Amino acid sequence: MIGHNIQREQGGWAMGEPVKGTVTSLSSIYSPEDAQKASVRVQEQISEHQKQVQQLQGFLNDNTNLVNLVKKLPDQLHHDIMVPFGKAAFFPGKLIHTNEFLVLLGEGYYADRTSKQTIEILKRRGKDLESQIENLNAVIKDLKYEASFFDETATEAAEGVVEIREDYVDEVSDEEEKDTPTPGEDDFARILSRIDELEKEEMESEMAEEAEDEDKPDLSHLLSHTHIEPEIIHSEPKESSALPVSKNSDSDLDLSSNIKAPTSSASNNTLPRAVEQKKLESLPNTPVSKNEVLSTRNDSSKAFTGSIVEHTHNTEKSQTSQPPTPASKPVSRFKMRKK
Amino acid sequence: MDQDRLAEEKIKRFEEFVDRRLKPDLVRAIGERDKVFEQQKVFSDLRRNLESLEKNSVTSLRSMVNLGSEVYAQADVPDTRHIFVDVGLGFHVELTWSEALKIIPVREEKFARQIEEYTRLIAQIKAQIKMVSQGIRELLQLPAE
Repeated sequence: MIGHNIQREQGGWAMGEPVKGTVTSLSSIYSPEDAQKASVRVQEQISEHQKQVQQLQGFLNDNTNLVNLVKKLPDQLHHDIMVPFGKAAFFPGKLIHTNEFLVLLGEGYYADRTSKQTIEILKRRGKDLESQIENLNAVIKDLKYEASFFDETATEAAEGVVEIREDYVDEVSDEEEKDTPTPGEDDFARILSRIDELEKEEMESEMAEEAEDEDKPDLSHLLSHTHIEPEIIHSEPKESSALPVSKNSDSDLDLSSNIKAPTSSASNNTLPRAVEQKKLESLPNTPVSKNEVLSTRNDSSKAFTGSIVEHTHNTEKSQTSQPPTPASKPVSRFKMRKK
Repeated sequence: MDQDRLAEEKIKRFEEFVDRRLKPDLVRAIGERDKVFEQQKVFSDLRRNLESLEKNSVTSLRSMVNLGSEVYAQADVPDTRHIFVDVGLGFHVELTWSEALKIIPVREEKFARQIEEYTRLIAQIKAQIKMVSQGIRELLQLPAE
């Protein structure tokens, strides 16, 4: 019932205006009657504890009186008293052996003690009582705070105080701020993963260049003999457009010319080109062995999503005009296939 | 519909009567009776003790007096022939053994009468509770137990 109330309340507010948090009237969470009841219960507990404290205080008073009595008794050899005989009768008599007391130690064991020893025992008992009273007083103090809190809640709920709760949102763009924080985080994660992907791609392309360098004779061989163009994989347009890497574009230009080169003059150009490539490759600080590992991993993990286009030998020029990344990519795939 | 509501109200009143009036009364009556039982026991103990004193013709007595908090001291009674007996309302009368043994049975008898009275009262309250709960059952149209 209460939960339903809250929901309605929130819905109402959300519809009314675009708020970031939720506004709940306190009375819908804690009805004033309930808070009052809770406070009454706590008050009852307090009075119960206070009774206990009073009882203990009574014991303590008795104990101090007894200490005084036991202290005084040995002053005289005997005292005239009324000796109780059962609960309803007594005899006139006297207390004798006034420095001898039988003290209960607990569990039905008694010990003969002198006045001083008895006083020590009684003082220890008194200390125990005091600590008990202290504990109870602490509990009462806590309960009193609790009761005052409940009272406050009750009065606040009765007055119609409202609780405003706003989730703390980190600096996010304006559009995202309106949304709940999760979509924003999702976006961020997506961006991060995208960056990772792009980096991977970049690496791959670099590797491809390397691989191409190594495989240059083979490739040229193939090209020249069979006259079949290597399969060119057009990666999705977003990949190529989203990845403007300056360094790569340089090398890729070289690469594209490389591809062209073997067709015209197979063996002549390859060696110097390869050296040049190597030089370029040494810049990005990527060891060759690692590259190879990466390449295999990438290819195995990534499904082939490009399209294969076969070109005749004549249309080779069009290849050069193509964006550099796709040009580099197919070679690696080609190489992989060959392996 | 209207009758149902009326019956419900009646049931509520009956239950309140049982819970707020009859049950506390019952508890109080039982408590009172227990107190009287205790008194009776005290006096019967006293009578028995006096009888044993008389039989053994004990004239002096040593006993332990509870000073409180289970601390005992020895006490000596040089002459047991005179005893102060509680005769009610905080009065203690000095009596000899024979006098005490006459008075104590009177007290005991009085306690017995009181106990009987309380027992009757308790039975009465219990009967009332049963009757009211029977009434509630009828209002709810439940079969009798």
